[in-house]
Amino acid sequence: MKNNLTPDTPRAENRVQNDCRAVISVQHLGKTFGDNVVLKDIDFDVFSGDVTCIIGPSGSGKSTLLRCINLFEEPTCGKILFHGGDITQTKHPDRYRQKVGMVFQSFNLFDNLNVLSNCTLGPRKVLKMSKSDAEQLAMRNLAAVGMSAYVKAKPRQLSGGQKQRVAIARALCMSPEVLLFDEPTSALDPEMVGEVLNVMRSLAQQGLTMIIVTHEMSFAREVSTRVVFMDDGVIVEQGAPEDIFNRPSEQRTREFLARVL
Amino acid sequence: MIAILTKYYYDILVGVGYTMLVAVIGTLVGLLIGILIGIYRTLPLPKNKFLRVLKRAGDYLLRAYIEVFRGTPMMVQAMVIFWGFALLNGGRTLNVTVSGLIIVSINTGAYMAEIVRGGIISIDKGQFEGCHAIGLTHSQTMFNVVMPQALRNILPSVTNEFIVNIKDTSVLNVIGFTELFFVAKDIVLDTFKTFETYLLAAIVYFILTFGISLLLRLVERKMDGNKNFRILGSQNLDAESFAREARSEK
Ligand SMILES: Nc1ncnc2c1ncn2[C@@H]1O[C@H](COP(=O)(O)OP(=O)(O)O)[C@@H](O)[C@H]1O
Ligand SMILES: [Mg+2]
Repeated sequence: MKNNLTPDTPRAENRVQNDCRAVISVQHLGKTFGDNVVLKDIDFDVFSGDVTCIIGPSGSGKSTLLRCINLFEEPTCGKILFHGGDITQTKHPDRYRQKVGMVFQSFNLFDNLNVLSNCTLGPRKVLKMSKSDAEQLAMRNLAAVGMSAYVKAKPRQLSGGQKQRVAIARALCMSPEVLLFDEPTSALDPEMVGEVLNVMRSLAQQGLTMIIVTHEMSFAREVSTRVVFMDDGVIVEQGAPEDIFNRPSEQRTREFLARVL
Repeated sequence: MIAILTKYYYDILVGVGYTMLVAVIGTLVGLLIGILIGIYRTLPLPKNKFLRVLKRAGDYLLRAYIEVFRGTPMMVQAMVIFWGFALLNGGRTLNVTVSGLIIVSINTGAYMAEIVRGGIISIDKGQFEGCHAIGLTHSQTMFNVVMPQALRNILPSVTNEFIVNIKDTSVLNVIGFTELFFVAKDIVLDTFKTFETYLLAAIVYFILTFGISLLLRLVERKMDGNKNFRILGSQNLDAESFAREARSEK
């Protein structure tokens, strides 16, 4: 698609077409912290049902990009379109975040609430659901991640993998259109990585739109519909997983893959 | 000492009553002041320029309040407020008990404000982000997730303040407030048994503070809840009965 365009194809026109379908469209996004340029001219689209994996060496700006998409960081320049509307200037980031959820490397479960309440808080306070509706919804999602039996446990009583599965259930309870994952398995002991990836795999099969920052290359290759390779604040290369992993066109991508595969 | 106790038990009880009245209400109102100030001071800076200036001005005023009331002795504050009120009202003084309550509350508020703020900023930034990520607003975040944790964490410091207040109400005798120390002074004037009377006062103070210490330790334990949790039923229960079971066991 975009990669095959001849250089003089008017990019803008092509974009306008894309924007009609893209759920999230990141356009010329830049982010600096002080003098530190962390993101430069980031451009990519996410379509409904896409599983986009963002890979790249650490420090390349992957987390910052996700945090910009979730409005945790304010972009220095550029736009982020959600269904065609720019959300970088929105007065209500909380409303946007109901639809674009996030799962963190460090889980960030609410330490004062048990597993069930972690999952019902959003539906009750944000979606104004009744207590029993919220609980039923929470139980369905906890069952989907295999955590039904732990509804009464507090986060500190769970293992890392269990915490992350609850965090995913909590995010799912908001019925998000897009779910962002920032290295969801990086803080886990190796034997717990699988259980979390399995949950994510099944979400991908159900067609949930996801943007996943990950170092799990075989998972990225298997599950993603698009792969974005970032290095030093820029997108070096993006495309179908087969292309990126088997026929990377950039030297930097090849070097990175040689190191991690 | 037993003789003093049997003869003056009524006065001592009155003294204990006033001491505890001021300590309990002063600590609670002080905590409330502290919570409000702590929440205000940790509000995110508004984007709007005018509101931002307003917020900053508020911060400076509250800083001034905290520094002044932490930085001067409560005994001096009591005199200034009590006689200041009289000066402004043509010599009419404020009821001593009301004065005592106000002074201890305002003084405690200054300490509590910093304790609460410390409690809030020590909560991991991830807790805030976890809330924001599911669309909670700042106030929903504070109310449902941050403050419950912050208050739990500062409870030992609140206990501290409570105990300090039980002891420090004794300085209110400078405005003629009949708390325990004032009663003790009276008894000494009556009996000339200085050592025994103050030893008795010390014992009573200690019983009060130790009692509060134990009580609030119990509250802490209650807030922490069960160490263990029960894994619920078998996997094939339907969602509704799970939720019901979970609720019934709260
Ligand atoms: N809040 C911040 N202030 C200053 N620099 C930051 C901040 N957050 C991230 N950075 C810098 O941005 C760069 C990219 O970080 P990050 O997005 O976390 O990379 P990645 O997730 O790919 O490892 C790093 O050099 C980091 O030091
Ligand atoms: Mg990162």
